[in-house]
Amino acid sequence: MLKIENLHVKLSDESREIIKGLSLTVKPGEVHAIMGPNGSGKSTLSYVLSGREGYEVTEGSVTYNGKDVLAMEPNERAAKGMFLAFQYPIEIPGVQTMQFLRVALNAQRKARGEKELAIPEFMRFVKDRAAKLNISQDMLKRPVNVGFSGGEKKRAEILQMAVLEPSLCILDETDSGLDIDALKVVAEGVNALRSPHRAMIVITHYQRLLDHIIPDVVHVLSGGRIVKTGGKELALELEKNGYADYAEKAA
Amino acid sequence: MSQALQRTAAEQALGISLPHRRMEDWRWTDLRARISKPYVPQNVVAAAQDVERLLASSPFARAARARVVFVNGVLDEAHSKLTGLEISKSCAAIAMQDPVLEMNAKLQPQGVTLKFVGQAELLVEMIHISTNANARAMGLHNAIEVAAGASASVIETFLGEGDYVMNAVTQVTLGKGAHLDRLKLQNDAAAATHLSHVIYDLGENARLNDITVTIGAALTRQNGTCTFNGENAEAKISGAYLQRNKQHVDTALVINHAVPHCTSREMFKCVMDDHARGIFQGKVVVAKHAQKTDGKQSSHALLLSENAEFDAKPELEIFADDVVCGHGATAGDLNHDHLFYLTSRGIPEAEAKSLLIAAFVGEAFDLVANDDVRDALVELAEKWVTAK
Repeated sequence: MLKIENLHVKLSDESREIIKGLSLTVKPGEVHAIMGPNGSGKSTLSYVLSGREGYEVTEGSVTYNGKDVLAMEPNERAAKGMFLAFQYPIEIPGVQTMQFLRVALNAQRKARGEKELAIPEFMRFVKDRAAKLNISQDMLKRPVNVGFSGGEKKRAEILQMAVLEPSLCILDETDSGLDIDALKVVAEGVNALRSPHRAMIVITHYQRLLDHIIPDVVHVLSGGRIVKTGGKELALELEKNGYADYAEKAA
Repeated sequence: MSQALQRTAAEQALGISLPHRRMEDWRWTDLRARISKPYVPQNVVAAAQDVERLLASSPFARAARARVVFVNGVLDEAHSKLTGLEISKSCAAIAMQDPVLEMNAKLQPQGVTLKFVGQAELLVEMIHISTNANARAMGLHNAIEVAAGASASVIETFLGEGDYVMNAVTQVTLGKGAHLDRLKLQNDAAAATHLSHVIYDLGENARLNDITVTIGAALTRQNGTCTFNGENAEAKISGAYLQRNKQHVDTALVINHAVPHCTSREMFKCVMDDHARGIFQGKVVVAKHAQKTDGKQSSHALLLSENAEFDAKPELEIFADDVVCGHGATAGDLNHDHLFYLTSRGIPEAEAKSLLIAAFVGEAFDLVANDDVRDALVELAEKWVTAK
């Protein structure tokens, strides 16, 4: 499904490499956790996968279902089923959440040669999913993420995921800034989307999110490389011992 | 000295001296250099089909319940829908002086006074149609009076075809506790020059909510003078520019806080593309005894091309010592983080840009109280964005 091979990435305006030879294969239905200390390249990886400007891939490849991801525009990647839940969801004044969801879904459907959804049909579709995430009608009427609390922003990201139904979800520090109740709501929303056809990459600094979203595979990212891969018990080990061992390895 | 200048052909035709760039208020809009043809008033007989086509092109054709139609500067009662309106065919004289008003007087303008004494039941559209005929100048002088305790909702729409100078003066008077929602849509012909001056006088506890949307004309200069005559009144004066090619818009607004405890808010959202040029000159004057004045103004420009230009000239003249006044101005291109967020959700870049442009200018439309009118403006902005 997703295949990253020997990926090297630097910032466009700096020579320093952030990702230094990362390889990763994710198959349908799998949930991979990527854990690592601050500055290990976690967020850079999520941005490179989603096509944010400002990063330069100097070596390696990323393919999704056999297609070259790095040659695609961000909207083409989305239409192919890739979705990034942002660590810091962006506020867009003046664009109503409901309108945004409709334009995004219909743009993706159009790109895939599917029929666009009519407004009443779309409204029912969204309301049903919003209710499950405790997202009020009022929030859907407000501009995208504007005035939302930290928890509301993360729930809104999961709602977008539930509406757009991507085949690969990349969750970038989805737990940051959430209290335990908000974390549970978000995790339930994510778990409801787990399916044999959908893969997930959960990027996190802390183990606690993985109590709620149980991963199949855990990778430790340090110094821009995956330095260890294991089962879910690896996350518990990291929680106990910290990243100190791995930081040294990378150095 | 202006006496030293020899009058241009245009000035001779109009019988006045036009303002030019050496006058501080006109430094960005050199009318003397820009109005190069001898525009004179002319009687134009318009074909009914032209009038009807232009009338139907108003975005408010369905929302408006009453209509006052002017064709080429002359009231057209046959096409109007005046039922329920208190209307008289004269306007009070204006004491002020400025070049727009001076030209207006020379053009022997026609116009009406609309008087409102009850609560706003009718959305009234005063629509000014200019049909395609010989190049000419037209003057209009209208008045909107909202009596004490009354409320009204009035749209002034300008639509046209061909080459003309439109000079429109509107006097807006709000009595004690009166409320007015006013919208001006200027979508004059691409070759037209639109000059206007709106004079607002607000009584005690009056509420004004005013929005000017500027899309048309090659050259627009719009003056506004708002005076608070009674305490605890509030004026919200907003605007939106949607400008491209070589269009030029200059707004010069003066707010006179002559009495204490009044609030003024100005917000202009300006979208400039191609070689378009936008100017916002906002001046807030607070008299010595006008304590507890709350006056804020802001202008924000979205520049879609490297050749587009926006100038803001905020001025505060404060003689009182217990006031809250401020101004802010920004100019920039589309936010890249916003664009990335939208495209990362599958929206193609061109569509994402349209969405963000409409959202930017839509902040000014949010102040429109009437849902149908607001929707019509949103649709108009979307059409403008995608027309390119």
